[in-house]
Amino acid sequence: MKIAFLFFLTWAIIFLGSFAFAEEEYKFDLSEIEKKPYHFGGYVELRPVLFGLDRDASLYKLKLFNRDEGKTIEEYNGKLQLEGSFEKGIARLFVRTNFDLKYSYLGWEHNDPQRMIYEGYLSLKPSPSLTFKLGKQTLLWGKGYAFNPVAFVSRPKDPDDPELALEGYITASVDYIKSFQGPLKTASITPVIFPVYKDVNDDFGTVNRLNFAGKLYLLLYDTDIDLMAMTGGSRTSRVGMDFSKNITTNLEVHGEFAFINNQRKKVIDSQGNISEAKFDAKSYLLGIRYLTASDTTFIFEYYRNGTGFSHLEIKDYFTFIDKGYDLFLSKGNDSLLKKAASVTEGNYGRINPSKDYLYLRISQKEPFNILYFTPAITTIMNLNDRSLSISPELLYTGIKNLEIRLKAIGLLGGRGTEFGEKQNDYRIELRVRYYF
Amino acid sequence: MRGEIQHLILRIRFLAAKSGGVYNTKKIHLRGLDMRNILRILLVLSVLITGVPAYAAIDGTQLLKQIDRNLNPESYEMYRKLINVEPNGRKMEYTFFSVKKGLDKLAGVFLAPASDKGRSTLRLGDNMWLYIPNVGKPIRITSLQSVIGGVFNNADILSLDYAAEYNVEKVEEKGNEYFLQLKAKTKMVAYDRLNLWADKNKKLPVKIECLTEAGMLIKTLYFKEIKDFGGGIVRPSVIETDSPLYKGYKSIMIFAKIKQRDFKDEVFTLTFMPNIESLR
Repeated sequence: MKIAFLFFLTWAIIFLGSFAFAEEEYKFDLSEIEKKPYHFGGYVELRPVLFGLDRDASLYKLKLFNRDEGKTIEEYNGKLQLEGSFEKGIARLFVRTNFDLKYSYLGWEHNDPQRMIYEGYLSLKPSPSLTFKLGKQTLLWGKGYAFNPVAFVSRPKDPDDPELALEGYITASVDYIKSFQGPLKTASITPVIFPVYKDVNDDFGTVNRLNFAGKLYLLLYDTDIDLMAMTGGSRTSRVGMDFSKNITTNLEVHGEFAFINNQRKKVIDSQGNISEAKFDAKSYLLGIRYLTASDTTFIFEYYRNGTGFSHLEIKDYFTFIDKGYDLFLSKGNDSLLKKAASVTEGNYGRINPSKDYLYLRISQKEPFNILYFTPAITTIMNLNDRSLSISPELLYTGIKNLEIRLKAIGLLGGRGTEFGEKQNDYRIELRVRYYF
Repeated sequence: MRGEIQHLILRIRFLAAKSGGVYNTKKIHLRGLDMRNILRILLVLSVLITGVPAYAAIDGTQLLKQIDRNLNPESYEMYRKLINVEPNGRKMEYTFFSVKKGLDKLAGVFLAPASDKGRSTLRLGDNMWLYIPNVGKPIRITSLQSVIGGVFNNADILSLDYAAEYNVEKVEEKGNEYFLQLKAKTKMVAYDRLNLWADKNKKLPVKIECLTEAGMLIKTLYFKEIKDFGGGIVRPSVIETDSPLYKGYKSIMIFAKIKQRDFKDEVFTLTFMPNIESLR
């Protein structure tokens, strides 16, 4: 019934919207292109979600052990993203804020006010070759679509929604660009100063450290190549590289490689013994983007996460949660579950906790000549335990400034597997976004 | 007649120079022959062999280059409105600012609608990238893809000079028009073949058919409403496009504020993509 309602709502918005804008006339008024020193815009989003719970899953037990929410739970999400800029001479001030509001079985919640500013920086551009930036900014490094092992100075993106805006960090950076004739067409260098102190990027890593990062970009023989590094003590030192190249008009290949020195991870065994492992991690990614003559796009990536857990380590973690849940049921004692929770955040609970993943996204642009309509299906597979997620989606952008997406995610996997032990069996969501 | 002979003289001078022959601006001396004698012999031979005077031959490449220059200066800035019209009359409009330098550097940014504002594109020869502000980094795209929905694809929006991407295979006169058959220089070009009809007097395109290697028609571009943009730029201000692949749909491109402008090479780089709007 709830699913039918989401479908009806999607259809109603598209149907009514197409009439609402049908009578609009077109013209090219030159006042539309008049440049103003300021800009204000953004979007407002509504996203109701229906979760189908897996009451036998370990992560359900960890999170909802003391509640009974039935077989499904609903969540109503709202988002307001605002951005504004002001430009004068060589200076530009840019701010992007993000306000999330959620109503769920836990009641009303919103994001931390300190984290509402996604970006806010001043840039100075004395020439097209040189740009200085100071403030909170998102520096996204890497060529991968779903995963970026070389994204050393940004927050991890969600492979379920890789195009979502991410909150930045407070940094100072410079872009210096130089163009050439010959096989090397462009070289640019981006040094970054990354402070981590109390109340300044303190969720990044060890505080009271001034970190340095940098990226060198080359367009060499029609191939994008980046070399990047980071050091300073808040996180262990790391170096990386990426590349991207069009082999033909419809085939692109890309890859990333990262070497992380002295990576640490906390491992819990099935008895609850916690140990810390320290090792040098190598992560890499290989991917292609292929467009067929019928406008079907395939994005395929293999990701080796050198910092991830083995299948056995993840299985032990779930076994320990199950033990903790049994103890809670038998004696009302939640101490083991609390212990499991302590190694979850930023460890087992991070995005992509395992070692090997395959990502495949197939999207079809405007099938059956339905303009602005893009159906797609995405799957993320954990190669170590053969569990996976499958997400079909329908996207419609045919109404001016309105974007409607209906998406479902099904999680498949046996006991002790990453996707099999997630809190939900499935999720269905409708996202309606209006840009202004 | 006099003008055509003059053109032939220039052409022979060009060929002589290209083949290493020695010439000065007044006379060409090849194996002791006077320039005028060569011309006379060529004219007589051509009439005898083909029955058609040689001065009627058209240099397709030069003509195509002339058409390119009449459409745009080599380096420029311009504004365009792209409109997709559906069979039921419903329209979607996009406003696009673009800059070009030399033969193969082009960059642009969408100014409207709000959902696409800030999306920028870059083309360096056969390489194309798309930058989406929310995503925050440029991604490589292909020329056949479309950054917006509808009949236009990236190659239409980020089009380079025709002469940069195509060789002229055949050129002929058809009434008041030239008809050029063009073949892509490389496999990286979006349309393998173009049939181009150009106004003979204005040397501006009237209609272009875009075809696959097998000769299948992908779309037809109609050039309309010639307008004086100032600075000596007089060209069609509207391009209408239809496609047998999108029956009943139509796309329209309206041009405004085309003007010659020079840019530094660094503007046409991945790192500069988030800043393209600052060039306005």
